[in-house]
Amino acid sequence: MMDIQEKLKEIGPYVEAEDDGMLVCRCEEVTKGEIRKAVHEGIFTIEELRRYLRSGMGLCQGQTCGKLVKGIVARELGVAPSEVEPASSRAPMRPIEMEILAEDGGVAHE
Amino acid sequence: MKIERYDMIVIGAGPAGLSAAIEAAKKGIKPIVFDENEKPGGQLFKQIHKFFGSKEHKAKVRGFKIGEELLAEAREYGVEVVLNATVVGLYPEKEITVKIGNEIKHYKGDAVLVATGASENMVNFKGWTLPGVIGAGAAQTMMNLHHIKPGKRVLMLGSGNVGLVVSFQLLQAGCEVVALADAAPRVGGYGVHAAKVARCGVPFYLSHTIVEAEGEDCVTGVVIGQVGPDWKVIPGTEKHFDVDTICLAVGLSPMSQLLKQAGCEMSDTKGGYVPVCQEDGATSVSGIFAAGDVSGIEEASSAMIEGRMSGATISCYLGYITEEEKQARIKELEAQLDTLRQGMFAPKNRGKLVEKTEEGIAVSMSLLENGYVADTEIERYPGVTKQEGIHPVIECTQNIPCNPCQDACPKGCICIGKNITSLPVVSKEHKCIGCGMCVASCSGQAIFLVQENVEPGFGEVTMPYEFLPLPKVGEKGIALGRDGKEVCEAEVTKVRTAPVFDHTNLLTIKVPNDRIMKARFYRGENGQQSAK
Ligand SMILES: Cc1cc2nc3c(=O)[nH]c(=O)nc-3n(C[C@H](O)[C@H](O)[C@H](O)COP(=O)(O)OP(=O)(O)OC[C@H]3O[C@@H](n4cnc5c(N)ncnc54)[C@H](O)[C@@H]3O)c2cc1C
Ligand code: SF4
Ligand code: SF4
Repeated sequence: MMDIQEKLKEIGPYVEAEDDGMLVCRCEEVTKGEIRKAVHEGIFTIEELRRYLRSGMGLCQGQTCGKLVKGIVARELGVAPSEVEPASSRAPMRPIEMEILAEDGGVAHE
Repeated sequence: MKIERYDMIVIGAGPAGLSAAIEAAKKGIKPIVFDENEKPGGQLFKQIHKFFGSKEHKAKVRGFKIGEELLAEAREYGVEVVLNATVVGLYPEKEITVKIGNEIKHYKGDAVLVATGASENMVNFKGWTLPGVIGAGAAQTMMNLHHIKPGKRVLMLGSGNVGLVVSFQLLQAGCEVVALADAAPRVGGYGVHAAKVARCGVPFYLSHTIVEAEGEDCVTGVVIGQVGPDWKVIPGTEKHFDVDTICLAVGLSPMSQLLKQAGCEMSDTKGGYVPVCQEDGATSVSGIFAAGDVSGIEEASSAMIEGRMSGATISCYLGYITEEEKQARIKELEAQLDTLRQGMFAPKNRGKLVEKTEEGIAVSMSLLENGYVADTEIERYPGVTKQEGIHPVIECTQNIPCNPCQDACPKGCICIGKNITSLPVVSKEHKCIGCGMCVASCSGQAIFLVQENVEPGFGEVTMPYEFLPLPKVGEKGIALGRDGKEVCEAEVTKVRTAPVFDHTNLLTIKVPNDRIMKARFYRGENGQQSAK
């Protein structure tokens, strides 16, 4: 486990970069800058990032951006991508209409 | 809540999942296989090219055919395949939830095999969200399943086998591939795949990446630039292309979320986030197994073997075969897997520069940097000989696990030997009859027949040709070299098609004698052939 305060000192303040406006998670419209900023605000794990920015929480469930987000966080922290704590996996694995989910388990009308 | 029970549940009807189900069904198990697609076969259903390998690995059979064969075999052994069924949850108790239609159904298995394959990676660059930026897999689906051209002018990013194969398929579909770029300094895929793209005239830009996709509402152009040692674009090296499509083939990532959800121990490797697995497919959770790309990206051929291994392991786990029977089967399959994992592209060589072949011959640097073997390099390979009369010229210059050419020749002209990765050798002792079987059976389209002096001063070159419309005998056009550049004028003298050639046509052109070792592709005069 990283010491957040120590790490924040180590990585220094957030500095704007030219490509910060680039969309990374297109489903939830999260930009590279937002992710970088979040890291400097102490968000170091993918799980926290998902809750904080909703990156990887959209239609594709992080299938497209997961690796990219991880790479950005890793670069910002100065660690290898494999050192970034991944998000936990939860059902449903694919987006599902609430209506269908709600009827799971036989609360059905019949 | 209703829960249906099965001995064995398989998630994913790709080569791994189907092979596992078949293996288990042969032992008396009644497996059920779920796949979210409307067609079974996984990646195979999009693959229209002939596969590498040997007979046991179904070499020289086209990918989608392998899928069909697997499916037929699965049916024959009573495997239940449920399509349009997305598995949305996997729990440690080996229970799964499946979305079928508008319902979520529950199933419980005594053993569950996860064979969900992989998904495509993306890269970010300015404008990457514009319509017209697509994954190579999507391009394949459009072309090969729905018969739609993804675009008119395409730039491909990625020189691995996927990027190379899809570039060729784009050409076949009639798209113009303006360039193939890769940030890596060397072509990542098989040289034979690269060579067939390069001779169609597609320029390779290694050590190049995309700077920007241009366009307001959709892609209208692309800028690529050369990357320096720090992977940043070197200013001043930017190149612009007018394109309407940018195709990305930048690798695959295992779709392993279900395994993680079930609590399997995972490991973050260079090849992606994969379950910690034994070779027989067992994960850290008893009764849950993994096989195929989901446990590490490889090939369909290895996915099938891994699937069979898991099938055998599960048969033993469920008591349908003894431990000894399982061990014997695993040993047999391991040996097969081993032969596939040899050669220059073996997992252990990933990312390394292999400078010499197993035979000690220098590897073509031009092939690695430009996508084609230079005219000055080609003669060092044992498949390239000078003979009187018609004979094959085999431009297969890397050690890859493949040998259909050897089996194809009825006259014994071609020898690879016991070691499936050895370079094909053309023997001068055996007399070639020009039947063309070798040309058509080569998965890499790397075999040509040449003959000098068919008439005074002129010789003939026969090449594999998979474009439509087919040129007509008597037609005149341009012969292209390995680099896709014009070599000389050429006249079509023969066009052969036959069921045994399995859709690889044999095109023979007449060129001056001193061009027969240079002419490797043909472009009709009016250029209507897709390759420009
Ligand atoms: C362009 C290209 C060219 C290739 N060329 C070759 C070649 O020449 N030779 C070779 O050996 N290999 C080749 N391959 C590789 C080969 O296709 C793959 O390695 C192989 O298909 C992997 O098999 P698999 O069964 O593990 O996964 P897949 O084939 O990916 O099958 C996985 C299946 O699981 C299903 N699935 C996933 N998640 C779920 C879920 N939650 N619920 C239900 N179903 C799910 C998917 O719909 C899919 O059908 C190529 C691949 C590509 C992309
Ligand atoms: S053309 Fe026929 S005889 Fe000649 S090498 Fe090829 S397969 Fe053998
Ligand atoms: S020449 Fe032989 S070994 Fe090489 S790709 Fe063709 S069939 Fe395979």
